Amino acid sequence: MIQFDQVTKRYPGSDEVLKNVSFSIDAGEFVFVTGHSGAGKSTLLKLIAATERPTSGTVLIANQNVSQLKASAIPFLRRRFGLIFQDHKLLYDRNCYENVILPLRINGVSGQEASKRVRAALDKVGLLHKEKAMPITLSGGEQQRLAIARAVVSRPSILIADEPTGNLDASYAADIMAIFYAFNQVGVTVIMATHDALGMSARQNRVLHLNQGRLSENMPSAESVLS
Amino acid sequence: MSNWLNHQLQAIRLVLLRMRDNLLSSFMICLVIGVAMCLPSLFYIGIDSLAKLTNHMQKETEISLFLKLDASKNTISEIDALLANNSAIKQYHFVSKDEAWQQLQIKSKDDNTVGDVINQLGKNPLPDAFFIQANSSEPETLEALRIELQTIPGVEQALLNTEWAKRLATLLSLSKKLTFFIAILLAIVLLVIIGNTVRMQILTQKDEIEVSYLIGATRSFIRTPFLYAGMLYGLFGGLLAIVMITAIIQTFNYSVSQISHLYSSDFSLNLFNDRLYLAVITSAVVIGWAGSYVAVSRAITTALRN
Repeated sequence: MIQFDQVTKRYPGSDEVLKNVSFSIDAGEFVFVTGHSGAGKSTLLKLIAATERPTSGTVLIANQNVSQLKASAIPFLRRRFGLIFQDHKLLYDRNCYENVILPLRINGVSGQEASKRVRAALDKVGLLHKEKAMPITLSGGEQQRLAIARAVVSRPSILIADEPTGNLDASYAADIMAIFYAFNQVGVTVIMATHDALGMSARQNRVLHLNQGRLSENMPSAESVLS
Repeated sequence: MSNWLNHQLQAIRLVLLRMRDNLLSSFMICLVIGVAMCLPSLFYIGIDSLAKLTNHMQKETEISLFLKLDASKNTISEIDALLANNSAIKQYHFVSKDEAWQQLQIKSKDDNTVGDVINQLGKNPLPDAFFIQANSSEPETLEALRIELQTIPGVEQALLNTEWAKRLATLLSLSKKLTFFIAILLAIVLLVIIGNTVRMQILTQKDEIEVSYLIGATRSFIRTPFLYAGMLYGLFGGLLAIVMITAIIQTFNYSVSQISHLYSSDFSLNLFNDRLYLAVITSAVVIGWAGSYVAVSRAITTALRN
C-alpha cells in the first residue's frame, strides 16, 4: 500500500533529513514512527501524505509514484488520507459541525448524506453533543478528537497522525489512542508519529524508529507483548 | 455536474455571509468601485448626448444669405434668378425683412424682455434674406458654395450654419478619447483595489486555505470563493454606480430642461441608457474577477510554500 525505496529528503540549505529510507506498510497495519524531535518523523509523514516530494528514491502510494504525479493529481491522492496534526489545525471561525464537514465539501458530498456522515464522525469521537460549539470552547483533548472526526469523516483508508497526543495529559492521551485502535480494528491503516511510548507498550505494534534520518525497524519484542 | 453547481452555490453563500459580517467595509469597497465606474460613465453620457444633438444639427445644412440693408427689389430678383440657375442648390426660400420682423414679434410675444427690446428699437433692423438648402451635405462643397454666394453683389454675408457644430463635433470626439483613457486608468485602479481587498481576505483566511489544501482541496476549489468575492464586489459596485448615475442625471436633467427650454429645444440626458448600464456592470464584474484571480493565484502559491 505504501512503499518507500531508498528515499532521501534534503531541504534547501540543510543536511539530509532522511537518509536512504526503505520500508513498506500493508493495508490494515498500525505503525508507530518514533525518534527524537528532529529525527525526521514529520518529514516521513509529509512524504507519505504527498505534501513533500523525495529528493531521491521512490515513494509509491497505492501503486502510484508520487514523484511522477502531476501537481493537479496530488489533491486527489491526498483524499485517500485522513491527516491529524499535533496542533489540530482546526478552523476557529466556525463551529464543530462546520469544521468536520470541510473534507466532505472538498469531496463533493453534500446535503443529507453529508450531515449524516458528519454526525456519525462526531459520534465516534464522542462529540455529538458539541456539534454547535465553537472549537475554542473545547478542551485540548476534545479539540484533538474533533480533528480526528474531521480526518475520518470522508472514510479514508489510511490515517496519518503526527504526535496526536503530544500536548495532552495521560488520561486524554489514552482516550485518543483508544479511538485510533478502534479505527484500526475495522481495517483502517494507521501511521502515527510519537516521541513517547504511551500506548505502544501495551500492544503488539510495528515501530519504525528514526535516528538522525536513518531508519531502524523494531518488531514488537516478546516482553512488550507479555506485559 | 450537480456537485459542481453545489460547490458554486456554497461558495457564493459563504462569500455573502462574510460580506454581511463585515457589512461596513464591504459597502466601502463597493462604494469605491461605484464612484470609479460612475465618473467615466457620466462623462460618456454627457458627451454622447451632446454629440447626438450636434449630429442632428449638422443634418440641417443651410446657408443663410443676408442681403445688404439697402438692397433694392431689383437686386433681390437678380439674386433670385442666380440662385434658381445654380445647380448646386436644392431649394431655397426668400424671407423679406418685413416677414422676418413680424416673425420675430410673434415669437417674442411670450417673452417680455425680448419684447421690450423690440419695442424700443422702433424700426425694423433686419435684412432681407435667402435660406438655401444645398444638394450636397459635404462640408467642403458647402464651404465652396458659401464663398461663391458671398461674392454676389448685394450680399452682405453668407453664413454656413453648421460651422460651430462642426467645431463642437471635433471637440466632442476629442473628449470621447479622453473619457476612454480616464476609463482605462480607473479600471487599472479598480483592478488594484479589488486585488488588494481579496489579498487581505486571503490573509485572514490563510488557515482555511492551508487546511483545505492539506486535506485534498484542488486549487480551483480554494480559488472559487475568492473569485466570487471579487465578482460580487464588482456587481454591487456596478449597481451602486448605476444608482448614482441615475440620481445625478435626474437632478442634472432638471436644470438642463430649464436651459434647453430657453433655446426652445427638448434636449435632456437619456436616463435609461441600458447598453451603458450593461457595460458598466459587465466591466465591473470582469475587473472584479480579474483582480481577485491575480491576487488569489499569487497568495495560494505563497501560502502553500510555507
